[in-house]
Amino acid sequence: MEEKKILLKAENIGKEFNRVRVLSDIDFDLRAGEIHALIGENGAGKSTFVKIISGVYQASFGRYFVDGAECCFKSTGESEAAGLYTIHQEINLVPYFNAYQNIFIGSEKKGALGLLDEKAMARRAQEVLAQLNVELDIRRPVKHFNTALQRIIQISAALVYQPKILIFDEPTTALGEEERDKLLEIIRDLRASGVGIIFISHNIEEITAISDRVTVFKDGQKMGTLEGSEIDGRRIVRMMVGEQEYESFSRGSCIDYDCQMLRLDGLCNSKLKNVSMTVHKGEILGVAGVVGAGKSETARAVFGIDGLVSGKVYVGGREYKPKPTTAVKAGLALVPEERRVQGLVGEFTVAENVAMVYQEKFTKGFFLQRKKERAVAEEHIKALTIKTTGPRQIVRFLSGGNQQKVVLSKWLCGDFDVLILDEPTKGIDVMAKRDIYKLISDIAEEGKAVLFFSSYLPELLDFCDRILVMSDGEVIGEFPAGGADAKEVITHAMLGGKSK
Amino acid sequence: MMTNKSDVAKRIVRYYGTVIVAILVFVFFSVSANGFFTLKNVMLLLKQMSALTIITLGFTFVMAVGGFDMSVGYSTGLVGIIFVKILMNTTNFWLALLGGIAVGLVIGCANGLLTSYVGLPDFIATFAMGSVIYGVKMMMTEGNPIYVKGVEGAGIDLFRSLNSEMLFGVVPVMAVIMLVFIVLCFILMEKTTLGRRIYAIGGNREAALFCGINVRRYKFISYVISSLAVAFSAVLVCSRLNSAQPTSGEGYLMDAISACYLGTTMFGEGQPTVLGSVVGAFIIAMLSNGLTMLGMTYYFQDITTGVVVIVAVLLSVVMNRKSK
Repeated sequence: MEEKKILLKAENIGKEFNRVRVLSDIDFDLRAGEIHALIGENGAGKSTFVKIISGVYQASFGRYFVDGAECCFKSTGESEAAGLYTIHQEINLVPYFNAYQNIFIGSEKKGALGLLDEKAMARRAQEVLAQLNVELDIRRPVKHFNTALQRIIQISAALVYQPKILIFDEPTTALGEEERDKLLEIIRDLRASGVGIIFISHNIEEITAISDRVTVFKDGQKMGTLEGSEIDGRRIVRMMVGEQEYESFSRGSCIDYDCQMLRLDGLCNSKLKNVSMTVHKGEILGVAGVVGAGKSETARAVFGIDGLVSGKVYVGGREYKPKPTTAVKAGLALVPEERRVQGLVGEFTVAENVAMVYQEKFTKGFFLQRKKERAVAEEHIKALTIKTTGPRQIVRFLSGGNQQKVVLSKWLCGDFDVLILDEPTKGIDVMAKRDIYKLISDIAEEGKAVLFFSSYLPELLDFCDRILVMSDGEVIGEFPAGGADAKEVITHAMLGGKSK
Repeated sequence: MMTNKSDVAKRIVRYYGTVIVAILVFVFFSVSANGFFTLKNVMLLLKQMSALTIITLGFTFVMAVGGFDMSVGYSTGLVGIIFVKILMNTTNFWLALLGGIAVGLVIGCANGLLTSYVGLPDFIATFAMGSVIYGVKMMMTEGNPIYVKGVEGAGIDLFRSLNSEMLFGVVPVMAVIMLVFIVLCFILMEKTTLGRRIYAIGGNREAALFCGINVRRYKFISYVISSLAVAFSAVLVCSRLNSAQPTSGEGYLMDAISACYLGTTMFGEGQPTVLGSVVGAFIIAMLSNGLTMLGMTYYFQDITTGVVVIVAVLLSVVMNRKSK
């Protein structure tokens, strides 16, 4: 069997920021035609490593070679010239540009007279998309396409340059199961064509399914590399978190079926068709569905961010007219989907964000009580093990998981009756996820009602009392969370089928 | 990974960007312009910056909430006209003041309504209001100034004393009024829920909304504050000119914007702040005062102000990058 050639080799890579060592002694190599996955908690160093080899950072120690030649990229332009492209976690497309315009941003094809050659760009874009077996209208503004297609366009932008190495950073975030499988297919095809692929993900299932090798990062160091048959979910987790065993999350149940904390009755607007559901005191109701099924839309409608054409909302038995300014007083709490854009003020400190909802608790008359804010924030930092330098740290420097914990902390400052969570563990590492599940479980045990929207089925199955499935703006089925074939049934329903 | 130490160090570096420029400018003029560095001139400087500072402070609220008030220049003129007319007709200073405040309130509410509740883009809405105000004030005066003369009374004396009186014979009353404003605005912005929420909305409007903050209300309030500040400042301007000039205040828009931006570079993160705006206004007033002493024309002053703003912001941006 031919030994695949080594495209990238890194020796002893280390990185310091202001004398703080964030990465040490990383040895790594990538072969052509392989998928080499990187996994580790947020802050473990995988993003830093990848940024070094793509030129965003320069290594403080060690060296790396691309195709045998030693490199020291000072910019992404240099790494791209060497054939190394990154598909970032955030899909940074220009929404009103179409597919080929987005693909050629920065490298527009020009024709005679130096004017844009739209035809050539369209043709080349079409070619690349055909390679991926994807059909879409290349003249349509990309904002009309769903996340999966946008992701594919993002990938096409790199493929145009026939890269040798592709780095995928959490590519399947916010994709439903079918879309995820399609994307993984595409990545497999790329592997078959000889591209070397570095695949960063938090999703252990994915990684075990698709990788040839897996390298585990922890606390800035390499814990080890598993190859082929060595790749096993439990083993990976053990390497990531130490000796603790990862168990399916169990919780005690104390649901009061006589008390309906939240009732949605026939909600309709441009995205929702007659959505109804009930959450009881102490219950965790999960809502499954692919992206675009109407989950976030429901959360936003209940909180009043989106308007309702018809339908009623009842909180604690009383009718409630959804409006964001009254939602908090009515007892609602919302952890939104996009924590950076909707959940936190990036420029504010941890303490300031934590105090933001129930500000009255931190004021005396007109005046702010910053000391109190910081003290309470300090409590939450301890209670939720938020990795931060303290209540004065500016939140945009925190990692995703820790930011999410801050979002949760701010609601924990006050008394709400209903907690609505919209994809709360998106892009968060295993340890932080467990912390968040425990927190939500505790909240339910205290007698609050929890409404949990997620496109990641396993976490709903582990964790919720009942699961609703939404598709296309409608609720199409309700299932108990237990039961051996629960997963089958619900997946089937998520794909638009009807309940058995 | 950010450690506490580097956070603090970064802040100190950003903190002094504009102050350094202020010190440089002050030293420059002290050295090159005869008579700049005297008690009398410094007091005059404080007096000259009073009106601008108050307007800039009001403007700061609007900037902090994420809006923009293009009407501040023309509003100054209109309030001044109403104020002086009432003063001339009733010789009652307080009544005239009330009238000026009322006009400020009306303008502020109109701006607030259009931007926050009707939802027009801030720039256009306030710009259009500015246009309307311009028309109104021109119509009222036909372009002619209204001098405060030929009338006597306690109110008139009070009016004039704003310009002439000195506390302890040294510190101009106007400067004291300015100081009171600064303290008030500082407390409001930094120590109250109002200020906190304004910054939250300016920092991330969506997140503020998702927290149940009444974004519209706070934005509206900011515009009202801005126009109220304009009203007070207009009274001071009229006192200094002993008249209501229909074109007075038109330069204030550019100056307030410049002063406010100079201030944002002071505390990093690009946030407008009260103290930053004060330092910014001080720099702008210094430039005007110092350059006049050096015998430069008004147009040269404009050029210089622009250059200084660029330099100050550049300094801060560079320092930011370095500390990374």
